[in-house]
Amino acid sequence: MSHKSIQVTVLAVSFFTAAGAHADPASIEQLDSYRQQGIGQFDAERGRQLWYASVNERGCTNCHGEIPANVGQHVKTGKPIEPMAPSVNPARYQSAKKIEKWFLRNCKWTLGRECNLQEKADILSWLASR
Amino acid sequence: MNLKPPMALGYVLMTGILVFSFYGLGQSVASGGFESDDHDMDLEYRQEYEHNGRRDTATAGPMYAEECGSCHMAYPAALLPAGSWQKIMASLEDHFGENAELDAQTRQEIEDYLVRESARVSYRKLFRNLGDASPLRVTELPHFVHEHDEIPARFIIGNDQVKSLSQCNVCHRGAERGRFDEDNVVIPGVSRWDD
Repeated sequence: MSHKSIQVTVLAVSFFTAAGAHADPASIEQLDSYRQQGIGQFDAERGRQLWYASVNERGCTNCHGEIPANVGQHVKTGKPIEPMAPSVNPARYQSAKKIEKWFLRNCKWTLGRECNLQEKADILSWLASR
Repeated sequence: MNLKPPMALGYVLMTGILVFSFYGLGQSVASGGFESDDHDMDLEYRQEYEHNGRRDTATAGPMYAEECGSCHMAYPAALLPAGSWQKIMASLEDHFGENAELDAQTRQEIEDYLVRESARVSYRKLFRNLGDASPLRVTELPHFVHEHDEIPARFIIGNDQVKSLSQCNVCHRGAERGRFDEDNVVIPGVSRWDD
């Protein structure tokens, strides 16, 4: 295969990947960052389990609701929370700083501790496909 | 990926409303602040607010709106004395039972903003009988308690659309712009409230 045809193939694949957009976890830059920090595999199924897990009656769904594509509601203040699913809310996951801020706050509130890199990568890769 | 127009519009409107609120807050003292104690505090506030066309170019206001307003109404700084804001900003890890941690720089900038704005714009009447106290909640201010003590509990706690006095903006439709006069009060599910 010539260089040119490889380039064309790569271009075509990138195009269709981009067109598939939200369904492709790789479209979230922060996942690349987790990869660079040593996370070899993203386990979206594990991420799904974490999303629905409840520790001392606290879990993601308390505020975000069961379905990431739906609007959530802050359990205490009642303030609406925009959907976590990029398929309906593409504005999500555009800022690494924001992602990390909310992982820090919400993991501590929900689990009583910070999430590790693998957990964040798993949750994010599951949400990315929603 | 489709950007849903209603959602995008919502963001724009919300951002606009919040940013606009802070112009009002930031500017009120420029033309004198609140000297008189004899009028409804909101009327004075509104005059200051509406007579001001200058834009506040500081970034701290929008930062406050973004960081704090994502969970609850971004309470106007004037609603608490500076000491209260300092206490609140020093305990974000346990923020009324929630974790609201911020990175050190953002935290400091927001605290500076709140302290500065609280000192510049304050409702003298609201802090009446407060002394040197710096409560963590607006709802603990003696004047606040006095103003709300005749409202039946069924309108607030027993009202699914209100739930708590902390949600100023549910009933005070101009709360985020610092407007709290009774003319603008609409308690959801209650036809009209007059005391």
